[in-house]
Amino acid sequence: MDQWVAVIGAGSWGTTLASILSMNQERVLLWSRREELCREIRETRENSRYLPGFRLDPSIEPTTDLERVCHSTRLLLLVVPSHGLRAVARTMGEHLDGEHCIVHATKGIEQGSFKRMSQVLREETCVRKLGVLSGPNLAREIAMGQPAGTLLASNFNEVLQGFKRSLHTDRLFQVYKGRDMVGAEVAGAVKNIVAVAAGVLDGLDLGDNTRALLLTRGLYEMAQVGVSMGASPMTFGGLAGIGDLMATCASPLSRNHQVGERLARGESLEQISDAMNQVAEGVKTARSVHDYAARNGFLGRLPIVRTVYRVIYEGMDVRQAVDYLMSLKTGHEMAELTY
Amino acid sequence: MRPEDRDRILVEVTSRITEHYTQLARGAPDGFLEELVNDTLYHEKLRLGTENPKDPATRRYKAFYAAMQRELKGASSHVLQRMVSDLARHFAQEVVGNFNRRVYRLSTRVIPVGLSALLGASSLPGMFSRPGDGNLLDRHLEVRGELDAVRALLGKGTLLVVPTHSSNLDSIVLGYSAFKESIPPLLYGAGLNLFTNPLISFFMRNLGAYRVDRKKKSRIYKDVLKQYSVCALQMGYHSLFFPGGTRSRSGAVEQKLKKGLLGTAMEAYVRNLMDGKPSPSIYIVPCTISYKLVLEAETLIGDHLQDVGRSRYIITDDEFSRPRRIYDFFRNLVSLDDNIVITYSRPMDVLGNPVDDRGRSRDPRGRPVDPSTYVTRGGEPVMDPQRDREYTSELARLIAQNYLGSNVIMSTNLVASAVDSLLRRSNPGMDRYRLLHTGGDQQSFPMSQVHAETGRQLKALGTCPGPRPILGDDLLSDDIQEIVSDAIRHFSIYHTRPAVERRGDRLFHMDRNLLLYYGNRLKGYRLDGQAASR
Repeated sequence: MDQWVAVIGAGSWGTTLASILSMNQERVLLWSRREELCREIRETRENSRYLPGFRLDPSIEPTTDLERVCHSTRLLLLVVPSHGLRAVARTMGEHLDGEHCIVHATKGIEQGSFKRMSQVLREETCVRKLGVLSGPNLAREIAMGQPAGTLLASNFNEVLQGFKRSLHTDRLFQVYKGRDMVGAEVAGAVKNIVAVAAGVLDGLDLGDNTRALLLTRGLYEMAQVGVSMGASPMTFGGLAGIGDLMATCASPLSRNHQVGERLARGESLEQISDAMNQVAEGVKTARSVHDYAARNGFLGRLPIVRTVYRVIYEGMDVRQAVDYLMSLKTGHEMAELTY
Repeated sequence: MRPEDRDRILVEVTSRITEHYTQLARGAPDGFLEELVNDTLYHEKLRLGTENPKDPATRRYKAFYAAMQRELKGASSHVLQRMVSDLARHFAQEVVGNFNRRVYRLSTRVIPVGLSALLGASSLPGMFSRPGDGNLLDRHLEVRGELDAVRALLGKGTLLVVPTHSSNLDSIVLGYSAFKESIPPLLYGAGLNLFTNPLISFFMRNLGAYRVDRKKKSRIYKDVLKQYSVCALQMGYHSLFFPGGTRSRSGAVEQKLKKGLLGTAMEAYVRNLMDGKPSPSIYIVPCTISYKLVLEAETLIGDHLQDVGRSRYIITDDEFSRPRRIYDFFRNLVSLDDNIVITYSRPMDVLGNPVDDRGRSRDPRGRPVDPSTYVTRGGEPVMDPQRDREYTSELARLIAQNYLGSNVIMSTNLVASAVDSLLRRSNPGMDRYRLLHTGGDQQSFPMSQVHAETGRQLKALGTCPGPRPILGDDLLSDDIQEIVSDAIRHFSIYHTRPAVERRGDRLFHMDRNLLLYYGNRLKGYRLDGQAASR
């Protein structure tokens, strides 16, 4: 045990994290469901589908054998899409025990149940030492060697120390420690809704003031959702909150942003989905958060979420949407945001 | 406790406390030990100031502390360590000293007979044993739930029973039920105030209870108590403590538990593993104790409604100290033919994982998991207080959840909650305390309205998402009117003032504090509308 660190999920972020770990002298097991992807990495040292053009160190060993992964190390970094996490966790659960530590870097909330990923992990495995990695981490930039930072949140010092040692990389990747898993998870998921809205503003050619207003009030709504679930509002002022929000909304290439721009052009959700062959996370999250807030009686405090939901699912006109938001009564800026 | 264990535990507790503080002092700024000793002397001085100065024990204490105070000035670190050790031994002796092997073994047998004697045979026809009838507690104590699962674990590890706490009768009732259900006697730390009533103190003493003096506030004393609990668990003494810390003041099922005491289970477990004990397991057994009428309801809710910050942690002048009230309480239990219901939940390991009949822990999907792996690294057990505090928080959460699922709601709870809801609905926006005080605009409600609201809440209890309570036998009837009448009958018979009173076809609310108290048992469930939002 512990001569390996495992990354579960070989998408662009998983592969990048494996690469960071290898820079820190770790031997890395990189799990993917797909045999052909493993073969490619083994033979060409490249993940051409998710991280084309970057060479992967020989210390990264690809595998499809989840049992072997679980038996080889107690440090598991889980980087699978939110809709697939439960199934992977359930399979892993067959091979885990109380020594294992799982940190997930999945940004999303389970649809329907509105469960956080760490709650899903708790339900599907025996593992208690859980953590979250969340921050402004566009995989390609980090893979290119540009400096970045992230938040690692866990209730267990053992998790914080173990993963920080493996992930923190001088001159490339700063890892800050924190306790607030709920805040980190909620921020990572809900920011995608704000990113859709930011795309809309860009599509309408609105300027920096408008965008700053949206981001700031969007952050406030993220915090509202988080606090309702037990998060600390402070987390939203950190890397997983405003940090991630700035990076996500600044990137015109992100799926969420593209959805927003297309909505601004008057396209319907069906047209956009057809064109993009994959639904952006923000589209699903908008419905989840909208329904959750409605069920718990605080949708009125989330005007941006509600408006994005109406634009996506009820065909509200985007200009009307902006007018609607701008005609809302304003009160105290931080009203009802208490811990 | 066996005499050899008594000596061992004394040595063990003293040395662990001394070691603990010596370790802490190494990483702390200068003066740490001096401050620790000084703090203890200060707290003890305050406490002794409130005691009778002529009491020989008080004088002994004063002399002991005075000598220590003199020595404290300019004491070397070596001397300070010895003083910490002296204090720890001094406190430990006091806690341990209250054991008596003979009464410990006999205890549970004595209680029911004693209770009947206490209540007086002649005045209570039918209360004494008739042939084959059992005694008072035999007939009015109902045990439900996972008792077989609990019994199956005997011999596989040490049990730690953690019940809800509404009444000082809890420990007596639980101790007796354990005896009756062939669960070995449980070690129990009882507050000194429970020993003040001469009649009750006899039974408390005989329950296997050791004395806990909650007036002693010093850090060392509290650590001695905790370490005592750890040692006893390690030695295999099945134990009992109330994780709520004190009787529920509001009447609600405890949802915030004291983690300090709970944490002793985890510590005992890790130490057992490190010592290589053959059966290191500590099994946590949550249970609820439900009363249709609570002996001390009036005092408890009264205390709750005082400014919460000023609420008294120790109450010495409540119904429990008045034999007449205890007498009335049991007389009503018999005449109304009520049961006190104890519901055992499925036992858990120290992490809160459910445990099967063979003592094996199960993960959330029912797969077996070895609990020792949670505290090992590379297979070796490792002490990590930060980790264990987190585990204990989770354990507390799971116990609290278990409470909600095994709490028994009775007619008094349901009807109180219904009337309380009507009260609040008919006085929208009125301050809670004002409403309790004045009763609002409506002195009474039509019976039809009470029946309707009771029926609505009963239905909500049976269908709410999340944990649901167990419904008492008195709620299984389809006849809502009968349920309401049953509650009214109960409220009219025991308390100083009835909570409600029926006149014609209207129901008058008389003691709204009691309505709040009994209704609060429905708190914590996700019922729709007002019943849930208190």
